[in-house]
Amino acid sequence: MTTAQSPSDTAQSSIWPWIAMSVAGLITLVASFVAPADAVQEELSRILYVHVPAAWLAYVSFGVTMLASALYLWKKNLLWDRIAASSAEVGVLFTGMTLVIGMIWGKSTWGVWWTWDARLTLTAIMFFVYLGYLALRRTTDDLEARARRSAILGVLAVIQLPLVHFSVVWWRGLHQTPSLLKPASVDMDTPMVLTLLIAVAMFSVMYVAMMVKLVELAKLEEEVILMDQSDLGPVAGAAVVAPSLGGDS
Amino acid sequence: MTPGFIAQALAFTRRDLLRERRSGEVVWVTLPFGAVALLLIPIAIGTDTPTLRRVGVGMFWVVVMLFGVLIAVRRTSADSVAQRDMVALTGADPAASFKGAAVANFMLLVLFEVVLGVLTVVLYDVDLAGWLWIPLILVLVAAGLSLLGTLAAGIVSTGRSAAALVPLIVAPMSVPLLIAATQSFEGLRLGESILTWILMLIVIVLVLSIAGVLTARPLQETG
Repeated sequence: MTTAQSPSDTAQSSIWPWIAMSVAGLITLVASFVAPADAVQEELSRILYVHVPAAWLAYVSFGVTMLASALYLWKKNLLWDRIAASSAEVGVLFTGMTLVIGMIWGKSTWGVWWTWDARLTLTAIMFFVYLGYLALRRTTDDLEARARRSAILGVLAVIQLPLVHFSVVWWRGLHQTPSLLKPASVDMDTPMVLTLLIAVAMFSVMYVAMMVKLVELAKLEEEVILMDQSDLGPVAGAAVVAPSLGGDS
Repeated sequence: MTPGFIAQALAFTRRDLLRERRSGEVVWVTLPFGAVALLLIPIAIGTDTPTLRRVGVGMFWVVVMLFGVLIAVRRTSADSVAQRDMVALTGADPAASFKGAAVANFMLLVLFEVVLGVLTVVLYDVDLAGWLWIPLILVLVAAGLSLLGTLAAGIVSTGRSAAALVPLIVAPMSVPLLIAATQSFEGLRLGESILTWILMLIVIVLVLSIAGVLTARPLQETG
């Protein structure tokens, strides 16, 4: 007789992603405070070392979602679906972080929490597009249908990325134009650029660590769904037992 | 003999329009709902004519985008799994089904835009400079929105909360349409060339059209 395997039996949890996330977070924090303050914005400029990496990694996350979605549609392997969904979750987290930190910076610099700048507005819209992607995944327990539908949306939604990135070039607004990701030379001092690159590297470590845990979690979630589907429950009338002589009474 | 692609698409369009004629969902529910929204906005923002004239076109497009989505959702709630399976068993081309539904949605959206457009002119006293371009803009936006809505309705299909989820997917993704539509009208008001915006609308319609045809079969296979 075989016993049903619980999802926790198959879990491959390890502690290293948690350690990696903590260490990377700590290094980012230390680097942000060691870096020199900006001549104009002074201490407030340190927000840059969290805001910019969060925004870049959000782009990376949604790019990975698009690639993994395309690979799922091609290969029909659920692993790609798990990667796409996990990356979208991290992307939504980083986009939310970018928006909130940007708003804090905006309140101190511009005097308002929100301004109708193209970059801000399109980032908020991108956030809602991927929230829709995550909501779509909750509409069905059919794993194949869920994977295929969200893969199509995952590919289509990527159109938001160039819109958000180039919005500061296409429309005049309050948000500054790119400082690093542009063809012309970098207009930041070397210590600041180095700190920013360290922060980006650490955010990348956090992204990979989160992906490892989330992909693992997605696998367990699929197992739970499959167990729920295979567990048909007791047959009607199973509680009724056949009459027998010599009972305990 | 299996009918050709266009004949199949037309059959789906006819089915959807017939369903609308019987239920009257767009004409008797969505359209009046949009009209009520146009009536409520001035109560909230102020009823002075200069303000309304300034915001009128923008409000019209917002109402078209948000309420027009309901036209695509209408199809989602009407299509049961059994109906979809039955259509699949007939061997009909899923791309023809997509095109047919999109054309029906397009026709209903044009009607929606025209009625609400007239109402906006009457209620908000908007400037109709360069009016010769307006039919083209209305047609292109209706085409873009109907394709986007039909595609989103196909993706969400018959899952849980489908009717609520389609607007969440369509509304943020319709931003390029909204920008092109409002900027076209702004360009007309200022007497500038709007060819860039018209081109943008045409590109959006083409991209969505291709995406809808390419994804129709994989979406049908998900049930």
